[in-house]
Amino acid sequence: MPSVCFYFQVHQPYRLRNYSIFDIGNRSDYFDDAKNYQITRKVADKCYLAANAVIYDLIKKHKGEFRVSYSITGVALEQFEKYAPEVIESFRRLADTGCVEFVNETYYHSLSYLYSKAEFKEQITMHRKKIEQLFKQTPVVFRNTELIFSDEIARFIESLGFKAVLIEGADSILDWRSPHFVYHVPNTKVALLLRSYKLSDDISFRFSNKDWNEYPLTADKFTKWVSAVNGNGVVINLFMDYETFGEHQWQATGIFEFLKTLPESILKNKDNNFLTVSEVVEKYPPISELNIPNFISWADMERDLSAWLGNRMQINAAETLYKMEMQVKRTKDRQLLEDWRRLTTSDHYYYMCTKWFSDGDVHKYFNPYESPYEGFISFMNVLNDMRTRILTSKKEEEMAKKTVSKQSPKSTAKLPETKTKEAPVEKSFFLQDGRILRTLKDLKDTLETMDDSIFYHHVSLDRNDFANWVRDVFKLPDLAVKIANAGNQAETKKAISNYLSK
Amino acid sequence: MRILMLGWEFPPFFAGGVGVVCSELSKALARRGEEIVFVMPSGPLQATSGTKHLNKFLIADKDFNEFTEIHESVAKSIKLNITIKTIESLLNPYITFDEYQKKYSAVKRFMGKEIGFMEKEGGELYGKNLIEEVYRFAIRAISIGEKENFDVIHAHDWTTFPAGIVLKKLTGKPLIVHIHITEFDKSGGQHANPEIYKIEREGMVEADTVIAVSNAVKERCMHNYYIDSGKIVVIHNASTPMISTEYAKKADVEGRPKIVLFAGRVTLQKGPDYFVEAARLVLQKNKNVLFVMAGTGDMLNRMIEKAADYGMADKFIFTGFYDRKDAERLFGMADVFVMPSVSEPFGITPLEAQYKKVPTIISRQTGVSEILKHCLKVNFWDINALAGKILEVLEYAPLKEELKEKGFQEVQNITWDRPAMECIKIYNKYYKPADKTDKKNKTKKSKKA
Repeated sequence: MPSVCFYFQVHQPYRLRNYSIFDIGNRSDYFDDAKNYQITRKVADKCYLAANAVIYDLIKKHKGEFRVSYSITGVALEQFEKYAPEVIESFRRLADTGCVEFVNETYYHSLSYLYSKAEFKEQITMHRKKIEQLFKQTPVVFRNTELIFSDEIARFIESLGFKAVLIEGADSILDWRSPHFVYHVPNTKVALLLRSYKLSDDISFRFSNKDWNEYPLTADKFTKWVSAVNGNGVVINLFMDYETFGEHQWQATGIFEFLKTLPESILKNKDNNFLTVSEVVEKYPPISELNIPNFISWADMERDLSAWLGNRMQINAAETLYKMEMQVKRTKDRQLLEDWRRLTTSDHYYYMCTKWFSDGDVHKYFNPYESPYEGFISFMNVLNDMRTRILTSKKEEEMAKKTVSKQSPKSTAKLPETKTKEAPVEKSFFLQDGRILRTLKDLKDTLETMDDSIFYHHVSLDRNDFANWVRDVFKLPDLAVKIANAGNQAETKKAISNYLSK
Repeated sequence: MRILMLGWEFPPFFAGGVGVVCSELSKALARRGEEIVFVMPSGPLQATSGTKHLNKFLIADKDFNEFTEIHESVAKSIKLNITIKTIESLLNPYITFDEYQKKYSAVKRFMGKEIGFMEKEGGELYGKNLIEEVYRFAIRAISIGEKENFDVIHAHDWTTFPAGIVLKKLTGKPLIVHIHITEFDKSGGQHANPEIYKIEREGMVEADTVIAVSNAVKERCMHNYYIDSGKIVVIHNASTPMISTEYAKKADVEGRPKIVLFAGRVTLQKGPDYFVEAARLVLQKNKNVLFVMAGTGDMLNRMIEKAADYGMADKFIFTGFYDRKDAERLFGMADVFVMPSVSEPFGITPLEAQYKKVPTIISRQTGVSEILKHCLKVNFWDINALAGKILEVLEYAPLKEELKEKGFQEVQNITWDRPAMECIKIYNKYYKPADKTDKKNKTKKSKKA
């Protein structure tokens, strides 16, 4: 009695224009509106509207027995609103059937988890609000960008209150296990739904491949494979890009006919049914634990982070971007923040991938650049222009001062004993988890093992408890500024270590 | 299979990039077990690294007759089955009428006085003008056709076409012409010398297969020479492994000026003026950059003047003529290599640059841009884009590193074995292994190997 869980990813990034080094300081219209319009419009017609119509008919036809889940990124939704408003309407119509569930992710389809937990949280909230506003649903299931996942993310996601996460059914984590069960990470309750990459890719990649020995794929054949799981699995998670329908697989391949006939074929067997993601979690409790020490994703053959952070250009671009986070946010410049956030979208890093460039393949899909190098160049030039905008923003300067020096005392002569000085009991730092810190060394040592949830309890956009403590108790305004500017534990620790070793 | 190659250069006796191509292709074919007879004209005043030796040889050779086998040592040293035969002539791939006339009179003056064998029984050793010379080459090639055994004729560029056609008619062997450059490319696509055009077209028409070194050249053969596209095969060149010499490693001193390199003939075709224009834009943003223009050509003086006019004389280095060794050193120094060619049938220098781990910017109007991916590309006329790319490579270290590393990996995979195999594929279309003696020879060889 396997259940089939269809989940579709809908995403369109804001593509950058070719932004030259000579544009820096001269223009701040980074995004290629014409191209973004063109692509959104094209994919809307070929895929989103066409596929939505099919899904809607299927739901009606099967009287609620056919059910699907979607995640539509915030940037995709925005572009629909601007360029193809009827797409929003067609999704609303699907939402109203009660057979469609929306999944939460980062609004900008970003890699923010890897660089800034604070930003990650904010983007999730933004996305949730957008879904609530448009579709009158509050998502309870999460999927991270490109199914990037690890043990560590599981714990963080659980702390945000999600019931379940969608992840890749990668061989590296499953070993001999089947992806057709629900799992969980040790010591967490958040359920893991694993993508059945074999069956998912049969549709999304191999469907029209004439060299494939199963070609042509029919609904009956696929149903046979689904039914074969009966007895050694409970759920088949078919997670794929929605663009599979009409875009990756063109209409002429017969992909829509396949989609139209598949539910009927699967439902013929009374043991089979369709479920949305949260229904899977309710019906099937986790059967065992999975350890996921390293990051996994659904990209390429490697199924790791190398598609986005595999070469030095990609890493440099991401690091440079996130280093600017605090400064950008302090300017209170909404447009600047919006521009910065659009650059967190993972596609920009994907375009810089040199891994498969020589063979020229999937990374080419709607890639606006002639080469990964061009992608990097435009991105970095844009960052440099944003830097000039930050520097010319007076607010940033004021804020940088304000965060740390509201009542900073005039006599700031650094006494050597501050390095070992103990704060008076009443001025000790009370960490959220109950631990108490008395010295700078205490703080430094704790940072090493501090969980993100605790760190970001004390550090947010306009507040940094650690910086304030250092300023007020130890009278070290310079160090406080450094701590305030550090975005994470490692950087904070570095700032303190540097001071202590001076 | 025995291939009669008609070329004009063979290292160490070469004047330009096409010589390298001929030699590398021959070597790769020989490695695959093909026999090569390489026929080339060789003149005493050619700018070759072996000039002196060659002079001496030719002048001292009492037995000088119709053609001379020289430098078997070359063939031996590379231990390949290549026989090199040279024919006395003044041919040079990039020669113009004027240059030929100059050369001709120089040779006549020099050799006529000293040795006095310019005039031999049966006519002059050298033709009076370039076209005549090309036909003389053809006449001399006949004697090779009579003495040599071969299965296929493979002729490189127009100077060898009359010889190729004559040999084809004489022996009935298939003729393959290899187009490295056309007359149109030399003039930046504008016009062609009608006589040379005629010879070029005749060669392509008479040929059984035309090999073009890029799609751009194929287009040219189709549209400017009216050759049927079905007869043209595109075979891109490959890269010659360069020995990585550590001595050329640049001293990375903090604040050292960055070096932007142009290396090639300073002629209209190579777009040196776009390089100078871009330099001006670069210097407006970044003063700590040096521009090196290596090579000579008819536009060199104008480029020097232009740089001075723009007040960049102190930011420019003009090296003049450079040889292989200099090239190694230049690439060793450069932070970025630029080839802004207006029209380049192929253009092999970027491959060398990438071999030397130098980030490379090339114009899209080059044949090589059809196969290179790990470099930056611009349209030759877009000086803003060119200047921008130069600045960006100098500015962003990860970009530079990635281009260096991936570019190097890329050229290592562009080996001569691939074009050689594609040539063999073409030969096999015509080659009928009915000749038993040839087969015997082959089996013997494979036993040895």
